[in-house]
Amino acid sequence: MAVVGDEFAPTISLDGARKARGNLTQARIRWMILALVIGFSLVGGRLIQLGFVETDQRIEGQTRDAITATRPPILDRNGLEMAVDIRVPSLYSEPRLIVDVEEAVQKLRTVLPEIEETWLRNRLSGEQGFVWVRRELTPAIQEQVMRLGIPGIDFITESKRFYPAMNEASHILGSTNVDNQGIAGIERHMDSESVALLQELGLARGNALTPVELSVDMRVQHVLHDQLLDAMTRYQAIAAAGVMMDIYTGEIIALASLPDFNPNEPATALVKDTFNRITAGIFEPGSIFKTVTIAGALDAGAVRINDDFDARYGIRFGRFTISDFHGKNRILSLPEVYKYSSNIGTIRVMQALGKENFRAFLTRMGLDARVPFELPEMRLPSVPKDFSDVGAATASFGHGLSVSPLHMIAAYVAFVNGGNYVPPTLYKRDIAEAEAQYTRVLQPKTSDLMRYLMRINAIEPGGSGSQMNKLALGYRVGGKTGTAEKVVDGRYSSSKVTNFFASAFPLDNPRYAMVILVDEPKAENPQSGTTAGWNAGTVTGRVIQRVAPMLGVAPDFSELLDKQLVPSVLR
Amino acid sequence: MIRKFNVFLILASILMLIGVYMLKFSIEGTAAERSALQAHIAEQEGQLSLLKADWAVLNQPAYIEPIVRRHQAELAIEQVQQKQFGAFADLPMRPAKPDTAAMDALFEAIDNGIDPIDAILELEGIE
Repeated sequence: MAVVGDEFAPTISLDGARKARGNLTQARIRWMILALVIGFSLVGGRLIQLGFVETDQRIEGQTRDAITATRPPILDRNGLEMAVDIRVPSLYSEPRLIVDVEEAVQKLRTVLPEIEETWLRNRLSGEQGFVWVRRELTPAIQEQVMRLGIPGIDFITESKRFYPAMNEASHILGSTNVDNQGIAGIERHMDSESVALLQELGLARGNALTPVELSVDMRVQHVLHDQLLDAMTRYQAIAAAGVMMDIYTGEIIALASLPDFNPNEPATALVKDTFNRITAGIFEPGSIFKTVTIAGALDAGAVRINDDFDARYGIRFGRFTISDFHGKNRILSLPEVYKYSSNIGTIRVMQALGKENFRAFLTRMGLDARVPFELPEMRLPSVPKDFSDVGAATASFGHGLSVSPLHMIAAYVAFVNGGNYVPPTLYKRDIAEAEAQYTRVLQPKTSDLMRYLMRINAIEPGGSGSQMNKLALGYRVGGKTGTAEKVVDGRYSSSKVTNFFASAFPLDNPRYAMVILVDEPKAENPQSGTTAGWNAGTVTGRVIQRVAPMLGVAPDFSELLDKQLVPSVLR
Repeated sequence: MIRKFNVFLILASILMLIGVYMLKFSIEGTAAERSALQAHIAEQEGQLSLLKADWAVLNQPAYIEPIVRRHQAELAIEQVQQKQFGAFADLPMRPAKPDTAAMDALFEAIDNGIDPIDAILELEGIE
């Protein structure tokens, strides 16, 4: 390099060529160093700048998805919403941004006076980045709080469950907690099925989920709820409940239990006595259990429809004598045993069947096990494993064992639908799906006889269902009353009773079964009584009178339809 | 030659730098627009959810029944009774053949200047 440079050197040269070149190189190196220093200081400055940037740790930026986690809407069988999600503002605070805690507390309490002062002060003090103050408020309150202009206080939109029917379907729907998780009813069942998984996977975030269709018909549900409310005041009962089921698909059309709660305020569910009496209440069923005894005996061929039973005298078991409530004190035919609700006659029917066979029949009808059903609020029935002679005798007319009304309706459904036990469901189900789950428990001809027995109890004079039939004339309803005395201080009380009415309609071609429960009713007026026909029976009549047209059952007064129910041997 | 090429490269890189920054800012603008739209959609979805809930409440039988009861007297409506239901099968059959004698009598009467419908209308005080 140096050698080549020499030839082009200027004529007068103060420095040597080598020196000049060296200077140039040094100058270049200096420029380079300057450039590098500027470059690195830019990068370093930017780094320091980034170090001072506060990252967004507010909930808005991070967990927005988790708190707007949605649940699928719940629809009734006609597509009417029973539960929907709404977006509501929730108040939160960033305590480390609050300048004057005392001022913030006083200001907030002007809008939300129900918040306790010391609690709020503790909540807003400290260095936390995020605390909830009040969740799920109304847009009006949001507006007021925003106007206060407190730094470090802000809102975020959350999903909240809303039940437009308020109390009406409370025991079916259950409720959800503040984090939108199901805590009772079908909401809880949905969570155990799929929704919780979806939420966890992050799929249930703000996007529309496929609605869940229930089997419930809100119109029928409303009428049932309305009539039960009416029964509570009319008979001054402590509780009333009812359930209606489609006998071929096993779908629950309506299910209500009073006292109930408002699922929009889950705290109201904690009030005493609001439990679901249909699934989680077990009762001595009383005379509606006679239908079970007679169905079992008829199906086994132990008795025939034209047999007679001696009901002249009470039956003695050691110290006890069991007699009839409205004793006829004569020999009764089987339909009369049923119609007059004769305890003696029913015991004789059970004895003809044999107590072991009777006990086995209860198992076959699913009366001693949990009913396969979606609601988590369920109680196991209490049925003795083995019956003593007297135990079997009392069990034959529904005392000495406790089952839920859901057990009873499932049994009655099998009695009238041709003899198939079909597990009840709250989800929409078609007949083909239901048929796959059928278990045959009775022969079809026994089912025909049961329809006949239930119908004559309503139409013949002296039948305990005649009160009901007067109200639901033309809808071919039939059923059985049950007045179960309650145990008060260790003995059966005749003034405190649990009344049932189990029914099915229209019996010439049955479609629906229903069980109504009225707990501890009083007489409506001095002329009426407290037995089931007066209260549970009339409630059934009034409900059917209103819902039958909705369910597409037209009234028909033709006596021919009732005549066709009479079995050939009795014609 | 090399100098020209260098100038060209410097100009090109400046142009590209400007281009990239313009792109960056336009994307940032679009992103801001997008998040504004998303916030708007979320807000409207919130309002929509409230409206849907309102609609569901208004459709509940429990909401409608008290309204019906309130106007029951004014509209003269009653709960439907069983005897009010009918079926097509209950309607009488059409007469097998037209009643010719009655028709003839009617036409003769009209020819004679007597209109039975007029008579009915006069009787009712109409006209």
